[in-house]
Amino acid sequence: MKEFWKGAVKLAQTLWYEELQTCVICGDEGDLVCPTCTTDYLHPELGRCRSCGKLLLNEKTNCLDCEAGRGPKHLDQVTAWGHYSGGLRDLIQNVKFEARPRRLKEIARPFTNWAISQLPAVDGVMAVPMHASRLAERGFNQAEVLASAIHWELGLPIIEGVERSEATPPQMLLSRYDRLHNLKGAFIVREPRSIIGRTVWLVDDVTTTGATLEAVAEVLRSSGAKAIYGLCLAAGMEKILVPLGD
Amino acid sequence: MHFFLTLNKDGSVGFSPFQERINQDSKVTSYLCAPLSYATIQAIQEQLQQRDPFGFWDKGFSRKDPKHQILKILKGFGWNASDLTWKENSPSLEFGQDSLEDEDQAHEKDKEVEKAFNRLTMGRQLSMGDLRRLARQLKSQDEDIKKLAQFNVEQGSATWVPAVKPVGNGWQCQRCGEREVEEWPSQYEMAATCRSCESIGPSTSLGVLYRDVRSLLEGPSEVIFQPHWELTEAQRIASEQVFEFIKDPCQETALLWAACGAGKTEVCFPSAAWALKEGKSVLFAAPRQDVINDVAPRLQRDFPDYPLQVLTGTSSVKFQGGGMVLATTHQVLRFWRAFDVIFMDEMDAFPYQGSRALEWGLKHALRQGGKILYLTATPSSEGLKAVKQGKMQLIRLPARHHRTSLPVPMWEKSRHTIAPNGCTGAWVSQIKSLRIQGPVLMFVPKISWIDPWIKCIQRCFPSWCVDGSYSADPERSSKIERLRQGEFDLFVSTTILERGVTLPGIQVVVLEADHPVFDERALVQMAGRVGRTRECPAGSVLFLSARMTPAMRTAVRWIEEQNRLAMELGLIDA
Repeated sequence: MKEFWKGAVKLAQTLWYEELQTCVICGDEGDLVCPTCTTDYLHPELGRCRSCGKLLLNEKTNCLDCEAGRGPKHLDQVTAWGHYSGGLRDLIQNVKFEARPRRLKEIARPFTNWAISQLPAVDGVMAVPMHASRLAERGFNQAEVLASAIHWELGLPIIEGVERSEATPPQMLLSRYDRLHNLKGAFIVREPRSIIGRTVWLVDDVTTTGATLEAVAEVLRSSGAKAIYGLCLAAGMEKILVPLGD
Repeated sequence: MHFFLTLNKDGSVGFSPFQERINQDSKVTSYLCAPLSYATIQAIQEQLQQRDPFGFWDKGFSRKDPKHQILKILKGFGWNASDLTWKENSPSLEFGQDSLEDEDQAHEKDKEVEKAFNRLTMGRQLSMGDLRRLARQLKSQDEDIKKLAQFNVEQGSATWVPAVKPVGNGWQCQRCGEREVEEWPSQYEMAATCRSCESIGPSTSLGVLYRDVRSLLEGPSEVIFQPHWELTEAQRIASEQVFEFIKDPCQETALLWAACGAGKTEVCFPSAAWALKEGKSVLFAAPRQDVINDVAPRLQRDFPDYPLQVLTGTSSVKFQGGGMVLATTHQVLRFWRAFDVIFMDEMDAFPYQGSRALEWGLKHALRQGGKILYLTATPSSEGLKAVKQGKMQLIRLPARHHRTSLPVPMWEKSRHTIAPNGCTGAWVSQIKSLRIQGPVLMFVPKISWIDPWIKCIQRCFPSWCVDGSYSADPERSSKIERLRQGEFDLFVSTTILERGVTLPGIQVVVLEADHPVFDERALVQMAGRVGRTRECPAGSVLFLSARMTPAMRTAVRWIEEQNRLAMELGLIDA
């Protein structure tokens, strides 16, 4: 009986009250992404490094690393929704390490809006693949969940065909040099037919040096992909822009 | 953590988290290459064990191929046949000479880690995250700790349990018992994450819990109990009743209803000492950290040299050994059937009160035939109902140690609504007269009232030192410390100060006592701040409101009843 009343109250509330909108990052009432989180983590006023997606001053097109030739070479452009810090970092870690993939669905709309404003139209989306052993442990590949969200928002087909054959240590724990070498031979193309002559958005959750995107882009390029654009939820920020103490 | 499903020579279905170990196991004939969650393996084992209702058709024929049956079950969960391949096992028992030598050298260290692991995990229920933390504490590798855990499971001193398990049409978290979980489609099958106990780490249907089934204590032992206090007459009577309850095999739960400031915690110490001597493990639990931090030094002082585990969210050492545990109710979720005796302090306080998960956790931390004693000054209605129905024994501790009765609140009816827009009315002079008796603590029902009331009181009494605080106040602890030192004439506060503080000579005023946030428990606790010390055993409590609510009536009745009972028993002086 108690359950019945609970259900009845819930139904009545949905009928009579408008559901309160809360910020997907901090949970405060208001917009889908509140103005504070937009300023603190999304930084729409800043530019993105075309090669690795890093946040930088608007007038620049490439970060210092990429200008010096240390960045990815097989991607046509990379962009990131926000800066990997504070609430956005908490959100991504909550999704990955506390098994909350549903939270990615909540950010699908603003993330997709950002993507179409930054990247050219393509034939399909592709997720950076995850190794089977990690997939078995986590139960989901956050990049695939993001790709699927874009698929549902924009109707873009999902392109498959790349596999992660090596279980490499998490990039998070490595130095810049090791990150770039950690992924050698980690990805293989299983279905070149689905890739040849196609243009794709290559989706991942976080990029720091762009090494993972680059490793996948390299095998895609060698299989005949026409254009590859990297798309991430979060990226690092050019060092000179990082406020002291952050 | 995931497991490989194995088919054994005897036809049984087993599992192991280590693929390389399967390769060395001569009992295993074949195994499934795709790793599975423990929940899936358990479901397969259960379904295979279920008797086939049409089994008689197969009589005389050969038994069904188990591989085929397993694949069928997995397909039912949503798996694709292409993801599932079997590998035949051909055990290789060749060990290189080098590896044996290496093993000898590492043997000594391994033994130490194993000993520490076994000592620190007794009676525990740990997630993979917890085991990883334990590996760090023992300066060992995650894999080695996993191996020790799996070894204990094989030996029967522990079990793996899916952290969130399919039950009927839904799910249930095996750590906190919660059934309302967040469901999501995982790679091959539906998965679920428990939100209710996420503050102590994630719990999902893909994860496992390591449950150690050994008792915290191996048997009776010598316990040195040196109390640094003497029980008052009231405490002695209650303590004897508690002791009777702990020894009585019939009763499972009891409620110790004490007057505020009567010293209910110490009443349990002699029984705890007895239980430990008998080889029974003891848990002191409380919902809030500050209660734990307050009780810990008292236990350490009275049980010198006895290993005491003190576990709160901020404890630096997460894994400790010993048969006596002092923990917040959240930390209790990391124990499974571990305690013979549980003393649960402040059962009616946040976050325990109203939390299904914490209540479930406490009940499941109790061993079979164990006892729970709830301690409180303001029992919940469920607690009182259980007493009425005879399900729970009631023990009373109605008097404070200084033999003075509890101050009974006085009600001052306010004709106008109470708002901080000027101190008018007769009660201003009453506040003034309260100040003569001691510093005044003024409770308000909402945070937004704190600042206006500070200003208002300052205007009325310019010479007074007035301040206030609330839960999110960054200066909260320093202000409360100054309040303890008696630096303020008047202090405005929300219900944050209703429990756990002793302020010498304090007088209490509750503004808008008829506000719904003030239930009878809050009112009794607020009134209970007055007259707690031997030096200032009396004082006044003033309830200000436009009307008298049932909660106010109940609060006054409870306090008067405690006094009456104490008087009857001769525990207070008239």
